[in-house]
Amino acid sequence: MKYYLRRIVFYLITLWAAISLNFMLPRLMPGDARAIFIDKLMRRGGEITPAMENSIDLVFGTADSSLWEQYLRYWGNLLRGDLGISITKFPAPVTELIAAALPWTLILVGTATVISFILGVALGALAGWKRGTAADAIIPGMTLLQSVPYFWLALIFVAYFAVQFRLFPIIGGYSLRDFPAGPEWSWAFAQSALYHAVLPAITIIIASVGGWVLGMRNMMVSTLSEDYVVTAEAKGLTRGRIFTWYAARNAALPSMAAFGITLGFVVAGSIVMEQVFTYPGIGKLMINAVQDKDYALMQGVFLVITVTVLAANFVMDLIYGLIDPRARNNV
Amino acid sequence: MLTKSGWKRAAVAALMAGVLGLSACSGSDSPAGGGSSAGTEVKTEGPVLAVFAGSQTPIVANFNPYSPTLLPGTLGSIYEPLFFYNKADVGDPIPLLGTEYEWSEDGTSLKIGIREGAKWNDGTDLTVDDVIYSFTNEAVSMDYLAEAVKADDTTVELKFKEPSYTNEYAILGSTYIVPKHVFEKEADLVTFTNAEAPVGTGPFKLSTVTDASYNVVKNDSYWDAERPTINEVQYLGIDGNSSAESLFKAGQLDYSTMFVPDPTTLTADGHLGYLRLSSPNPLTILTCSNAELGCEGAQTDKAVRQAFSKVLNRDEINEKAYYGHASLAAPTFTLPERDEQWIKDGLPQLVDGGADVEEAKKILEDAGYTLGGDGIYAKDGQRASFTVNSVEGWSDANAAAELMVSQAKAAGIEVKSETVTLDQYTEDRQVGDYEMIISALFGTPISDPYTIYRNSFTTDYTTPVGTPLDARQTNFARYSNPVVDEAVHTAAQTNDEAVKKEAYGKIQEAIVEDVPYIPLFHGGSQTFYNQDDFDGWPTEDNKYAFPASWDALQAAYVMSQLTYK
Repeated sequence: MKYYLRRIVFYLITLWAAISLNFMLPRLMPGDARAIFIDKLMRRGGEITPAMENSIDLVFGTADSSLWEQYLRYWGNLLRGDLGISITKFPAPVTELIAAALPWTLILVGTATVISFILGVALGALAGWKRGTAADAIIPGMTLLQSVPYFWLALIFVAYFAVQFRLFPIIGGYSLRDFPAGPEWSWAFAQSALYHAVLPAITIIIASVGGWVLGMRNMMVSTLSEDYVVTAEAKGLTRGRIFTWYAARNAALPSMAAFGITLGFVVAGSIVMEQVFTYPGIGKLMINAVQDKDYALMQGVFLVITVTVLAANFVMDLIYGLIDPRARNNV
Repeated sequence: MLTKSGWKRAAVAALMAGVLGLSACSGSDSPAGGGSSAGTEVKTEGPVLAVFAGSQTPIVANFNPYSPTLLPGTLGSIYEPLFFYNKADVGDPIPLLGTEYEWSEDGTSLKIGIREGAKWNDGTDLTVDDVIYSFTNEAVSMDYLAEAVKADDTTVELKFKEPSYTNEYAILGSTYIVPKHVFEKEADLVTFTNAEAPVGTGPFKLSTVTDASYNVVKNDSYWDAERPTINEVQYLGIDGNSSAESLFKAGQLDYSTMFVPDPTTLTADGHLGYLRLSSPNPLTILTCSNAELGCEGAQTDKAVRQAFSKVLNRDEINEKAYYGHASLAAPTFTLPERDEQWIKDGLPQLVDGGADVEEAKKILEDAGYTLGGDGIYAKDGQRASFTVNSVEGWSDANAAAELMVSQAKAAGIEVKSETVTLDQYTEDRQVGDYEMIISALFGTPISDPYTIYRNSFTTDYTTPVGTPLDARQTNFARYSNPVVDEAVHTAAQTNDEAVKKEAYGKIQEAIVEDVPYIPLFHGGSQTFYNQDDFDGWPTEDNKYAFPASWDALQAAYVMSQLTYK
C-alpha cells in the first residue's frame, strides 16, 4: 500500500508545480492580453471609446494587483472551473472551447493510439517470436512508415483517398452539409462522425504503429534468451503459454511504460492531424492560441495537457504495479 | 488584408506542388454538378452555396457588428449600410437603406433620405430613429459628428463640427444600420454576441450556427424584391488553404478568395470560374526617410531612395518572389486603372517593371556620390548602404528582399537583407526604429486617394522617431512636407473634383520626387467560384463588386446577386 500512497503524493506535488508554472509562464512572456486585445481592435479600424474601455476592463480585469493576489485568484478561479475568456474567440469562455474540443480529440486520437499500441505490440511479439523467418520482413516496412513525416502522409492520404477517389470526406468531424445545426443524438450523426474519423485514424495508426512493432520485437528477442524462458521450455510447457505468459508479458513491460507517456500526449499530439483534416479537436485551439498570443486559451490548453499527461502516467503506474511485482517492492 | 501567414502559404504551396506532381499521372475525373437548363424564368431551387471566408474552427457565434471578433456574413448579409460603394470600380454609390443624399454648401451638414418600406427581419419597420441611433450609439462614436436629427419621417440630417466630405464613405458606406429596439437594451455593445436570431435588414438572415459552420438563408421580407434569389449560404470553418483547395477539387466548396500559386490546378476542368483583382493596398518598402524627425541611415537622403527605386527590377521580383501574381503599383500611390482619373497629367501611371541601372548611378552621381573602392557609392563618408527588413516567415517578402540585394549592387548600392519577427516589425514600424521594411500601406476602398494621402503622407499622421504612432497614424516614413499638408487640407474642404484633383496633383509631384515609400506592387486577390451551379458572378468586364469572399459587404452584395443556373 505504501507504493500507491507514495505515488499519489508524488503526483499531487507535480500537479501543484505544473499548475503554478502554468500561472507564471504567460506572466513572464512580454505583452499583456489587454493591450494585445486593444491593439487588435484598433488594427481592424475600430476605435476605443471610454465606454469600450470600461467593458474591456470588465472582461480582463485590471492588472494592478500583486502577483500573490493574482496567484490566489488564479487558484480560486481554477477551483471554480473558470479559465478565463479567450481573446481570439472572444467572448467565448476557455472552458467552453475546451469542453467542445476535448471529446473529439480524446475519442479519435485516444482510440487510434490504443489501436496502434495493441496492433504494434501484437505484431512485434509475433515478429520476435518468429525471428529469422519471413515474419521479420515486416520490419523494413515498419521502419519506412516510421520515417515518413506524419504531415506528408496525411496530406497524401487526403489528396488520394479524399479528393481523388472521393472515398472519404476532406474536412470536419461530421458532414457540415447534412448537419448544419451541429451534433445531435442520432444514428445518422454517429455514422457521419465515424465516417469522418476513419481517414484521420488510419493516418495516425499507420504513422505510429511502426515504433511499437520495432520496440516490442527487440524486447521479445532478448526476453526469449532469458533463463526463465529456457526453463519453461525445458519443463515442456505449451508454446502458447510460453509465448503469452513468459515471453510477451515480460517483453511488453517497457512498451507499457512508454504507452503511458504516449497516452498522455494524445491531447498535444493531435495538432498536425487536426490542422490537415480541420478536425474539431484541441490541438487546433493550441495553434490558434499560440499564434495569436491568446494567453487565457493557451493556459487552458496547457493545463488540460498537463493534467492528462499526469493522469495517464498515474494510471499506468498503478497498472504497472499490478503486472510487475518488482515495482511495488522496490520502493 | 496583409499576408497574415506567408509561411503557411509557402509550406502549403510546396506541399501541394508535391502532391499534385504525384497525382498528375491520373486522369481528371468528371466534375460534379448538372447541366444548365436554359430558360428565362429564374430558378428558385438549387444547392446551398458553400463559402470559405477565412473563418477557422472552432467558430464562436458572434453577429454583433460592433464586435472585434464578428463573423463574416454579419456585415452586408445581415446588417446593411446606407449605400454600397464598389471597391473594384469607379461609379456612384448604389442605394441600399439610403435612397439619396445631399451635402450642404459648406460640407458641415448631410441630408440622407431613408428607404421607405424596409423592414427588420423581426417584422418591425426601419425608422429614422434606427438610423440616428446607428450614428450616435456609444460603440460608433464618430468624433466629427455634432448631432444627428430627424428632418422628416424619411430624412436624417447629420451635422458636423467641420466640413466632412472626406468622411462620406465612412458615413454612407461603412456605418451599419442596427435596430434601436434591440441594441438599446444591451448594456454593453462590445461584449454583446447577438448570437441568436440577429435582427437586421439585410438580404440574408441567420438560420443555424455550430462550431464548424453556420448558415444564412434568404430574407423573404427583404426590401429589394429582386434580390436575393439563392436560398441558402453555408459559411464553413476551414483550417488552412490546402483543405479549401481540396474541397474545391471535390466540388464541395463554391466560393472563396485565397492564395493558390497555380490557379489552373483548380480551374482546369471548367467547373470553377476564376477572377484575379488587384488589392487596393500597395505593397511598398517603408523607409524611415526624415532625418529631421530622427531617422538615421543612408536612406534619409532622397537621392539614395530614388536611385534604389530605379535599380529595382520589379518584374523579376514579381516573377520569382510573388509567383507572378502581383501587378505594378503607381508611384502616386493610387490603384492603377481604378484611380487613373486622379493622376496629374505628366506623372507616370505605373512604376517601371525593369531596372534602370545607368539612371540610378546618374542620380547618385548628380547628388555628389562617388563610387568607392568597394564598389559602393559614398558621399562625405556616408556609404549608400542600408538594411531592408522583412518579416520572418513571410516567404514572398523574404525572397523579394534577397533579390533586392543583388539588384541594388549593380548600381553601387549596398542592401543588407535581414528578417525580423512579426512583433519586432510591428514595434519598429510604430516607433520608426528601422531603415527600410517591406510592408504595405492601406489603400483606399473607394476611388479617391484622400485617406492614403492624409494617413500616410501628412505631418499630422506621424511622430518623431521613438514616439509610437497611434493606431490611426500610418505615416511610417516620418514624411513631412508643408506642400503636402496644405494640399491635403485643401482637398478636405471641398467636394469640387477639379479643386481636389489640383490638390492631389501637388501631393503626387511631391511624393514622386521624395519617394518616402518605395512603391512595388498591388497584390492580387484570387477568387474562385462555382460557375456550373451559380450565375451572376463579377467578371473582368463587369466588376460590379470587389469579389473577395472575406470582404464583408462586397461579398454579401455578390451573393445577393447570384442566381441558380
